[in-house]
Amino acid sequence: MVENHRSGSGYDKKQGFYPHVVMPPCQAACPLHMEISEYVDLIAQGKVMEALQVIREGNPFPSICAYVCTHPCEDACRRAQVDKPIAIRALKRFAVEFGGDRMIQLEAETKHKDRVAIVGSGPAGLACAYYLRKLGYPVTIFEAHSEPGGMLRIGIPQYRLPREVVDTEVQRLINMGVELKTDTRVLSLDLLFDMGYRAIFLTVGAHQGLRMGIEGEDSPGVIDGATFLREVNLGLKPFPGETVAVVGGGNVAMDAARTAVRLGARKVMVLYRRTRAEMPASATEVEQALEEGVEFMFLVAPVKVKRENGLLRVTCIRMELGEPDAGGRRRPIPVKGSEFDIEVSTLITAIGQAPQLSQDFRLRIGRGSTIQVDPVTLTTNRAGVFAGGDAVTGPATVTEALASGRKAAFRIDEYLQHRYPGVDREVTSSLGELSPTTIEMIRRSERLEPPCLPPEERIKEFKVIESIYDWESAVKEARRCLRCGMGAEILFQDKCATCLTCLRVCPYRVPCLDSNGSVRIPVDQCQACGICVAQCPARALVLRKPRDGRQINEELEHVIRVASESRSRPLIVGFCCQYGLLGTGALADVWRGTRAGISIVPVLCVAKIEEGHMLQAFQMGAEGVFIAGCGKECSRENTAFWVWQRIEKVRKALSQIGLEPQRLDMFTPDSSGGSMAEALDKFAERIGALYLNSVLRQEVKA
Amino acid sequence: MIVAEQKPIGEIRQLIAPYSKVLLLGCGTCMTVCGAGGEREVSFLRDALRVAEARSGDMRHDFLEYTVKRQCDFEFLDVVAEKIPEVDAILSLGCGVGVQAVAERFPYIPVLPGVNTSFIGLAKEWGVWDERCAACGDCRLAETAGICPITRCTKGILNGPCAGTKNGKCEANKDMDCAWVLIYKRLEALHQLDKMYRYYPPRNFRVIPRPRRIVRKVDVKVGEGNG
Repeated sequence: MVENHRSGSGYDKKQGFYPHVVMPPCQAACPLHMEISEYVDLIAQGKVMEALQVIREGNPFPSICAYVCTHPCEDACRRAQVDKPIAIRALKRFAVEFGGDRMIQLEAETKHKDRVAIVGSGPAGLACAYYLRKLGYPVTIFEAHSEPGGMLRIGIPQYRLPREVVDTEVQRLINMGVELKTDTRVLSLDLLFDMGYRAIFLTVGAHQGLRMGIEGEDSPGVIDGATFLREVNLGLKPFPGETVAVVGGGNVAMDAARTAVRLGARKVMVLYRRTRAEMPASATEVEQALEEGVEFMFLVAPVKVKRENGLLRVTCIRMELGEPDAGGRRRPIPVKGSEFDIEVSTLITAIGQAPQLSQDFRLRIGRGSTIQVDPVTLTTNRAGVFAGGDAVTGPATVTEALASGRKAAFRIDEYLQHRYPGVDREVTSSLGELSPTTIEMIRRSERLEPPCLPPEERIKEFKVIESIYDWESAVKEARRCLRCGMGAEILFQDKCATCLTCLRVCPYRVPCLDSNGSVRIPVDQCQACGICVAQCPARALVLRKPRDGRQINEELEHVIRVASESRSRPLIVGFCCQYGLLGTGALADVWRGTRAGISIVPVLCVAKIEEGHMLQAFQMGAEGVFIAGCGKECSRENTAFWVWQRIEKVRKALSQIGLEPQRLDMFTPDSSGGSMAEALDKFAERIGALYLNSVLRQEVKA
Repeated sequence: MIVAEQKPIGEIRQLIAPYSKVLLLGCGTCMTVCGAGGEREVSFLRDALRVAEARSGDMRHDFLEYTVKRQCDFEFLDVVAEKIPEVDAILSLGCGVGVQAVAERFPYIPVLPGVNTSFIGLAKEWGVWDERCAACGDCRLAETAGICPITRCTKGILNGPCAGTKNGKCEANKDMDCAWVLIYKRLEALHQLDKMYRYYPPRNFRVIPRPRRIVRKVDVKVGEGNG
């Protein structure tokens, strides 16, 4: 039996996704599992405030992540299989800046009596405070340094994260009612319990630089990376001398090297015992360090330091790569007799960091001096003491710290409310690789990077080096998203007549027949263009994110209602691409040249406009209907072909009804020959004449 | 598959003129596949009729929409029964068989055809359908290399080609392939050209005593050895 109505599969607020949508890999890779595809799509529509709203729902401090996130989402992005991944972090920064994040005020009311102490005001501590405050707990943060922010302030250089951003977020927390005690080092957890705190979240970070264990390591002029960065970030501007060597291949090593460049060092060398391929630092960081003149010496490790005549003589040895170790990276092996000396003024060691914990905490310590916790509940060996962030994981990313702080907040809530601890669902993406056919059919589109200061400008000071996208670039970049996991599905298998229309119309050749002769639309290949959904003669198909299509009906009704109230005649309805025309504001130029009296229905790609939509516009009183697509900007080359098929079908019906077919037309910025404004103007003129004609005819009849 | 075309809106409007409540009944099988009367077409027709009524200021029709899996089997029509008291007429977008099945199933309500049933054929590509079978009841495809001269030759001749073939095309339509040239080429490829040299006597039109009926059921009398 075939039903004519369809059950809505709407957005599940509690679950945080559309039940039929398959988790895209970007969202699965994000430690916070943010709804990336959702906000990227909103940016593609130019809806930047809505995008920010989605971002804020999944991230307590989006402005911080917008600067420093190491974007594991981009590493997982499936667009990389076609050309390059979406610039997700830069897009988030665009949304944060243009969406008015600075203006957002947060409030929280106290609902519980149990006070919670947070030791450490790094990203994990701040995130925990944010969520606990939202849950209604009185929260106090204890910070040993004079300024809050932890590594955000004393670890990350200013050119990567401006201090105002941290200040704004901290101020927002204070406005929410979080108590902040700086210059307060916590020496005993018992004391905190005595003070009346019912739970403690320990997030003291990993600030202690690891030692290399070589001769002369304690000579003056040898400094560890964490200490060096802390001194610079707290306002000291030490001159490291003419020549600086940095030991290590991680992000701290990059930060230290680039900071040394900015402090005036003429020659900065990075000594790394493996090769560039094995470097744990993010590729962009390495790239930018190279641009700023940092030299890299690979397969080199220091073995001895000796201070001579105010300089450091560092004896190094060359390495070669041997068998892979437990972590999968090839182990460096010293090459006998390959020792050589370099002379430097400062040697910065950045080979790793560990937490520094007071014995009095009486906590069980694990590998690398980190706090041992239960991975599910984040509880330590002491009741009421939870731990997270770098202090538990060892040096990790800001986003991982935020995720750990958020998790801690929920676990502490459960602890205080005597609830059984919730277990986080494991988040993975079941989407497979794109097939070669799909990749071949996807239109290539270059990744746009936000503009960056030239290296010679950057190294002069600690100014932020990356600028923000302009509106058009952001929309264009966001439009590259492949909409993973939200493609078409056969919702009503019993309706499907196996007519093969979907197989024949798909621009990516995604639908296929299985060995039983049933149609399958593999979700890992579908690009969610919606063409098959609009063509399916049985209407058995839906997009997994149904809002995209349903919106047209709602908008159309709304537009017609508003227009009928205004009584301006003749009424012309235009279905316009929300991505290319409204999103980029390109339509604004069109309007300036076109007369008023046109009502616009924004559509998420004209491919989703069905014949029924066009007819409904006429039925609701439109004298003329047009469709405006984004033309060459479209993700597909043949979108217009399918829209024209539908237009011609409706035109045929119109002429059978006795209406002029030219009342329905389509325009794109590149098809109309002249300007789109001119073409639309002519269309409006034509409709005006037809309208006048029909009015006259009716009067004659009467 | 049966291929059909939706009737022009004007004609449908005339058909339904005497009635006010009309059930637009789609068919989920052939008519869906050939894009003439599936759920999408039912809704398209309703929208088009509504536009027509709105433009003429004559809004006296109420439309109900429904699409059954297949109109040509009575069992599928049972669910329509409850809607019958609500309507004055049924406009069936089924093929000719569907229309008649609906009429037979519901004897007391007018049933109108919404499509022109055209032929038995296939989809050449998206949006293009070609006739392939005339349902003559006397299949000769074994002799003609799987290409039917009855349907695909304009003249339907059994001993072609005729003198009207030119460059592989038919004299009746220069865009249309000559069926007999196609047959020749395919027989050549199959090394069966000898079949071209045989004479095929005229078809026996008497095998089509209309209406035809196929009875596969065997009459078995109860009590004669079968319990």
